[in-house]
Amino acid sequence: MICDNCQERPASVVVTQSKNGKTEERHLCDVCAAHFQPFQGDFGGDPLGIQQFLQNWFAGPGTFQKTAQPQVASGPECPNCGLTFRRFIERGKFGCAECYGAFRKELPEVFNKVQGGHTKHEGKVPDSYSGRIAAERKIKDLRRQMKEAINQEEFERAAQLRDEVRELERSLEEGGGQDVVD
Amino acid sequence: MSSIENFLKNAVTPWMGPKGEYSNIVMSTRVRLARNLKGFRFPLDFSREEAEEVEQKVAAALGGMEDFSHIPMESVPAIQRQALVEKHLISPQLADPERPGSVILSGDESVSIMVNEEDHIRIQVIYPGLHLMEAFDRANDIDNRLEEALPYAFDGDFGYITSCPTNTGTGLRASVMLHLPALSITSNMTRIAQAVARLGMTVRGSYGEGSDALGNVYQVSNQMTLGKSERDILMDLRDLTERLIEQEERARRALREHSPMKLEDRVWRSYGILTNARVLATDEAANRLSDVRLGIDMGIIPDVDLSVLNELMIFMQPAFLQQYAGETLQPGERDVFRAQLIRERIGMGRQSGGAED
Repeated sequence: MICDNCQERPASVVVTQSKNGKTEERHLCDVCAAHFQPFQGDFGGDPLGIQQFLQNWFAGPGTFQKTAQPQVASGPECPNCGLTFRRFIERGKFGCAECYGAFRKELPEVFNKVQGGHTKHEGKVPDSYSGRIAAERKIKDLRRQMKEAINQEEFERAAQLRDEVRELERSLEEGGGQDVVD
Repeated sequence: MSSIENFLKNAVTPWMGPKGEYSNIVMSTRVRLARNLKGFRFPLDFSREEAEEVEQKVAAALGGMEDFSHIPMESVPAIQRQALVEKHLISPQLADPERPGSVILSGDESVSIMVNEEDHIRIQVIYPGLHLMEAFDRANDIDNRLEEALPYAFDGDFGYITSCPTNTGTGLRASVMLHLPALSITSNMTRIAQAVARLGMTVRGSYGEGSDALGNVYQVSNQMTLGKSERDILMDLRDLTERLIEQEERARRALREHSPMKLEDRVWRSYGILTNARVLATDEAANRLSDVRLGIDMGIIPDVDLSVLNELMIFMQPAFLQQYAGETLQPGERDVFRAQLIRERIGMGRQSGGAED
């Protein structure tokens, strides 16, 4: 017997699945059976159904006819792995880290759709990343502390904080930042 | 030592235990961080050579860590790969025999680092009970350690770069596995799933799909990874989990007040089936185990430990059953072995539980 799924390899596993009261039996090969996981919550998968979100990107909103595939340009192409933006939308996965740079202009709209309106990272920043982000955040934080100090009339502390901010800003302008942070 | 004791000795991991906050309702907490390396295509597109280089780099970066073992997937027989999936230590994708990949496992199996799954690196931590912050801190420590040695792909605007745009940013997916029998019995889960979705989080059956979750075990996780800090993601999930626990407890009180005899009958009936049946299919076993777990937690059934039920939810799955049986089983045979495993394990739990009193 041939595998019900790939129709290629011989079937070696029988999988019985009950759904809505109906029982279905499928004959699968060991390769396809490895993919069939009735017990596994799809932890690593995408919870939003990204394809659904993205599929109508090129067709425009409200267009559902599969037959009317307009000749749309493929959009930008990643210089590193060769993935086009169009192909990225179709399969919902990037090819390499460089794709993010190549699709930088288009990505905010993508993230707007799949990340509930968010387009900017607010979390952890690796130390190894050029100190710029960390420095910018530190400046923001120092300014907040400075305001607090002024409100509480701790002017000496506020002046100290102001000097720190100035130094950070100067080093950012010089393109550094790394050594000042931490 | 009987065959079941020997099997359990090798199969039970700490996160199945009864410890941890709210462990009567929260079965386990899982946190994972997705990371990628600069200069290599993602696993969906990369070459064998790239795969090997990534693997060597990650293994070398973790080299000094004690008590971690590096397991290339190709060295693991199909049935044991499957057992790792059933234990949630690796994803089904990593178990695919046609793709390269490996897992780096801590001795107590609470940390599993998947290499070359959808992303180059996925750090996963599983703890028993509700321990989101602790699980994250552990994953974060390993992340810091890896970051020192490896060139992570990171973008100033988009954060940690991942293969799928649904993971971009923090790369953090946190999830809590909840046993919600009373909310299920009182038909509240559909309503709850809708409310949770509005909060930017997902509920799904942990075993099986959608609202008819096998064994009334649900997995609640964050949906968004961008635009929120790790701490905010974890706090929001924790708040939601606590509200679900509250609702489940309220539903349990209502069941006890309004139909105590029906509840007791349901629990003891299921207990009777589990301790006597000779053939048990997956669905039936899961639903009966759920009733008995509820019965134990509500004090209706004495002398059985909750962890027995946690274990059985995992071990009644096909690959574990076959390890227990020591041979390949056809589905019909599995039902027989499943019934036997459950009978023996509950019997064992009662003896040890009773002896302590």
